[in-house]
Amino acid sequence: MNKRFMVLAAMLLVFAVFVSAPALGQGATLNVAWPYQVPPTGHFNTFASGGITLGQYQDLHEPPLAVLLWASGEYEGMVAEEFGWDADGNYVITMVDGNSWSDGSAMTADDLMATFNIFRLRGDAVWANMSGIEKVDDSTVKFVMDTPSSLVERIILTTNLRPASVFGDIADRAAMMMSGDDGWDALLEELTEFRPEAPVSGGPYTILPDTINEASLMMELNPGGFAGDIQNFDMVRMWNGETEVVTPLVSNEELHYITHGIPPTTEEAFADQGIDIVRSGMNNGPGIYVNHAVYPLNMVEVRQAIAYTVDRIQNGVVSLGDSGVAVEFMTGMSDGLSLAWLSDDTLDALNTYDHDLMKAEELLQSVGFSRDEAGMWMDDNGDPLAFELTFPQEYADWSAAAENATAQLNDFGFDITSRGVQFQQHPQDIYSSDFELAIRNWGLGDPIPGRSYLQAYNRYNGQGEVAGEGGGAGMNFDNNVDYSGGMVNVFDLSNASSQGVEKADQAALVTQLAVSYNELLPAIPLWERYTNNSLNRNYISVPDSSDSIYANFGGGADNWMTYLILKGVAAPADM
Amino acid sequence: MVDLLQKAAKNYTVRVFVQAILTIWAVATLTFLLVREMPGNPIDVLIEQILTQEGVSYQEAYDRVAASFNFDPDASLLDLYLSWLGDLLRFDLGTSITSPGTAVIDEIARFLPWTVFAVGMGLLISFVLGIILGMTMAYYRDSFLDHSLSLLSSFMTGVPNYIWGLLIIIVLGIQLDLFNVGELRGTYDISLTPGLNAAFVLSVFKHAALPITTYVIATLGGWMLNMKSSTMGVLNEDYVNVAEARGLTDKRIISAYVGRNAALPLFTQLTIAVGFVLGSGVVIEEIFVYWGIGHYLFQSITVRDYTSMQGVFLILTMAVVFSNLFADLTYGLLDPRVRISGDK
Amino acid sequence: MTSEENVNRQTAPNPALAILLIPWGLLRSAARFLRRLRSNVPGMIGFIGLVAYFIFTFIMPHIIEFDGDPNLDEIVGPIGSRIQLAAHSENAHLRSFEDLAGKTVGVVDQTGGPDLIAPYADSLTIETYRWTSRRAGPGLEASLIDLANKEIDALLIFSKTVTELIDNQEDPELKALFAENIVITNPELGPPHLLGTDTQGRDIATHVVHGGRVLILTALIGGVISTVIALFLGSISALTGGVLDSGLTALTNLILAIPRFPLLVVMAGLIQFNNTLYLGVLIGLLGWPSLMRAIRSQVLSLRERDFVEAARSLGLSTNHIMLREILPNMISYVMINFIFSITFAMYEQIGLVVLGLAPINDYTWGVMLYFGRSRGTLYNADGASMALSPVLAIALFQVCLVLFARALEEIFDPRLRTAV
Repeated sequence: MNKRFMVLAAMLLVFAVFVSAPALGQGATLNVAWPYQVPPTGHFNTFASGGITLGQYQDLHEPPLAVLLWASGEYEGMVAEEFGWDADGNYVITMVDGNSWSDGSAMTADDLMATFNIFRLRGDAVWANMSGIEKVDDSTVKFVMDTPSSLVERIILTTNLRPASVFGDIADRAAMMMSGDDGWDALLEELTEFRPEAPVSGGPYTILPDTINEASLMMELNPGGFAGDIQNFDMVRMWNGETEVVTPLVSNEELHYITHGIPPTTEEAFADQGIDIVRSGMNNGPGIYVNHAVYPLNMVEVRQAIAYTVDRIQNGVVSLGDSGVAVEFMTGMSDGLSLAWLSDDTLDALNTYDHDLMKAEELLQSVGFSRDEAGMWMDDNGDPLAFELTFPQEYADWSAAAENATAQLNDFGFDITSRGVQFQQHPQDIYSSDFELAIRNWGLGDPIPGRSYLQAYNRYNGQGEVAGEGGGAGMNFDNNVDYSGGMVNVFDLSNASSQGVEKADQAALVTQLAVSYNELLPAIPLWERYTNNSLNRNYISVPDSSDSIYANFGGGADNWMTYLILKGVAAPADM
Repeated sequence: MVDLLQKAAKNYTVRVFVQAILTIWAVATLTFLLVREMPGNPIDVLIEQILTQEGVSYQEAYDRVAASFNFDPDASLLDLYLSWLGDLLRFDLGTSITSPGTAVIDEIARFLPWTVFAVGMGLLISFVLGIILGMTMAYYRDSFLDHSLSLLSSFMTGVPNYIWGLLIIIVLGIQLDLFNVGELRGTYDISLTPGLNAAFVLSVFKHAALPITTYVIATLGGWMLNMKSSTMGVLNEDYVNVAEARGLTDKRIISAYVGRNAALPLFTQLTIAVGFVLGSGVVIEEIFVYWGIGHYLFQSITVRDYTSMQGVFLILTMAVVFSNLFADLTYGLLDPRVRISGDK
Repeated sequence: MTSEENVNRQTAPNPALAILLIPWGLLRSAARFLRRLRSNVPGMIGFIGLVAYFIFTFIMPHIIEFDGDPNLDEIVGPIGSRIQLAAHSENAHLRSFEDLAGKTVGVVDQTGGPDLIAPYADSLTIETYRWTSRRAGPGLEASLIDLANKEIDALLIFSKTVTELIDNQEDPELKALFAENIVITNPELGPPHLLGTDTQGRDIATHVVHGGRVLILTALIGGVISTVIALFLGSISALTGGVLDSGLTALTNLILAIPRFPLLVVMAGLIQFNNTLYLGVLIGLLGWPSLMRAIRSQVLSLRERDFVEAARSLGLSTNHIMLREILPNMISYVMINFIFSITFAMYEQIGLVVLGLAPINDYTWGVMLYFGRSRGTLYNADGASMALSPVLAIALFQVCLVLFARALEEIFDPRLRTAV
């Protein structure tokens, strides 16, 4: 027994000494959080997985070219001073002069060249639309385009700039080669395994490698970097960890801003404590997808009846509290995008499918359906409206949405059984058409409206990858639709609407997409997911919640907090 | 040479050792196949997570994941297996799929000590307590004390360990508000600098307190009852009667004869318990958000990180097999009766 | 009965018969057991508890309906929450539905209030308020203001709302207005929620009643399968010996070397059942080895006993020895282990459900726990009922099983009998 105690004591000793970290500096510190991997798992190659990129805060050490202001739809230049299409349909970017990287090298067009050459090596989607990049002068780069589009513009402008002093070697070698060349794969592997010794920052803050531990890492002011001269904080402390870990730090007021999704009960506790909950629409959320090969789900009246039956407000609240906001316009994209892209006349003409059991009743009766003695609906063949609704059971909000929608539909006389499926398997079931009704996501966290339709018309309709088998039939929806505006192919429309650079042309296509979706409801959106960022205004001073910048929900790019830091607006609050 | 081998084959120690290695190999092979048969693969799963949580397009998600992953969905299973086995012979568990470049063994080294600490402390405390209480029950059998302890032990063993965990959280933590559950998550207070200082060591114990308490409660009942019946068995043996007849004091009999002999069989069970508790730690660690090996295993299963899963299974299996082996080999040393019969 | 038939029965080599003998053994043991149980208080408690559980989970669901209707205003209602009747202080005499005849009564949609008032709709005027002010229409606060201003005579309102909007009112003007003009005339108008409501505002008590059947059936299936396999393989192994014995022993050792719960986690992910009962089959198929080992050594030791030796020297067949001599002597042992394997199966299936790795389609105690945990009610003092109720239901069931098994052990195992 004594021996065991000794072993334990020895183990404790080992524990206690196995990590140590130097003392941390004082001063005005911004306390925010993003989960990262501690070295050696985490590293400073931000092109490879496991790299310490810090999510949206990557903008602080690898500055973006520009930020899209979501409320106005306009880009505001960051590292890019001038940017736009030239007469030949190529994209030209001129960078701000006078910034430097934390290793002392100047920030020039070479950095932009290096960044995009590595994207090419990685096979990033942006290169599908580009045929090359050219350095015009020390601060200007021309992107040679095959097809100009607002999509490729967005990808370019939201790029985080990387230092050529670190990645230039691999980038230059990649620029010499074509995909498939000898050595291409080896170079890609070299990139993946490349581990820079130290982080090099071009933004206002730079990571201090010695301070990285399981708990947090410190970033110190990088005066020479972009926006480094206008910062109000001396340091940024980046806390590590997922929601469970950072929650107590927020209530202890050690951590002052998190973007982690928190359950409604935590929200209440925070609100009681005076911590602000900031919500921004995320442009996507769950909806009820139907398999159009299953009779009578292929009948538009039945889908519309489902839309009328399910009270979306209730569904959103039981699923995600105040962050589950019912979709109003039912256009297949978020209400924010609908408001931004559709004319008032179009909006007025849309059917909002407000919870209305009478309308649902009329619709079903109009196609010859009737209720049996028990009040359950029978279709025109006398079969009950019995379907199975599947959902990924690990997702707490979606499973609540499924549970609630099932209860509401069954109350109305449907006979729905809901079934949870492991989240790894669920999308595969949809791709391979192995479902009747399913909860999947509509919309996309992307400001380009046409892309929202990729879920319904592309990913879940024949393009989702069935493990090892290529694309399946998905929801079996015929993308050639006949609606009040005529015959269109909605998939082509959604692609076309992301192309081109004229907003008016795009809006016309988007209107067709929105109206046809609203009439046909290929899938029934339920609610939009809103962020519930926790912000302690006793420590951080940012504009009040009516400011339009909060439209920039930013899962990665365009985040409002990083924007406010880069602009020198975010400041320590006077206590 | 042949002679030596034959001799070795006859040697008990060598035989059980070879058996243990074979068992580990078989389990490793089995888990290698099983984990790869699970639906989904690491790439699909991460893409799915990104698609659902961030709502980006499929292509974007794929770009972010596929290029940097250490995983080829089309690789031949046999090749993978052979190269993995080859690495294993060099004690190399490979690198994580979802975080290329990170050795699985490093990850295990990061998570395992916490579990060993919590489970070890829990089992040790419950074992010692159980032996004391069990002997007490045997000596005062049929008394009120015996009956109430016995009832208590039924409660402790009957209720699943994670249910104890939940009860601790809900009743003690939330309803009675005795401690802040949120602050006790993780393995130590992350605002502290890890190192050999009182605050840090204290926080390590504080964070492990809930899992340890749960392990103690959930295993204590078993030790008590086993010790009771074991003690009662020993009490009936002749040499105890002889000792009593010789007029030795009760205290002397307990400490010199009964306690030791009665506790012996329990050591074997302790080794079995190690395996069980390590395995069931998955749920406990998830409930308390305690980052031990169970938490790591659960995360690996969720993202389908095959190499990490294999690594954890291997380590857990080795823990079970070697603790059994240890029990086998040391039992004779501890119990004189077995030593004699082992000679024949 | 001729002796010939007897001989036939003895020589028919059918080990499966051994299994058929179990119920008979059970009955006999049960009768003996019940007689002795009276002196064993914990065992009696366990036994009565199990009977109560049986009634509770298998009969009560036919009487009490599952509450599947979400009620927004009752989300995470505390234990004992219910609809109350509030009235203007001048109308303090309004206490029941009958009193409301001819009055204007406010109800809040989605609270269960509209359903309660529906039968009386002809005799009174109903004013509907929306629980949320997100959409057009008067909201909750408006309903209270209307009541205070006597626009309506009475209001059906949920007890939690009363606390939130009247008692804890932060706006001093509103607080004064409410305090002056509103009285709760009947705090117990609506149906009580004995155990409160869940994250969708549904009655938890009904969920507890409906949540046990599938769990217990699954555990029974798991227990039966593992016990039967263990009994079958254990006795075959012990009685046959030789290669079969060493093969089976090696297999047992192999399975025992794999950490059981993690293996189950992987298998459950791999197989993907839709039906919880199949989970019981899987648990049973993986759960036999340790019991098989125990039974094998039991049979081995029984085989050496005098009466078996005697039977063997009489030249009786292996089947006869197994069925007639060994099995009856093991019945109680098997029975006890059967109960313990039920507790194991319960442990494992709920563990899987809590991690979200098992089917969650039947709304069982495990699923309540899973949702309670994933939706954060664990950490909410008001809402803990959603997790605490199934936790207690599971814990008490397991304790009853163990108490019962322990009593069996004490009654049938001579070594443990009090008169050692």
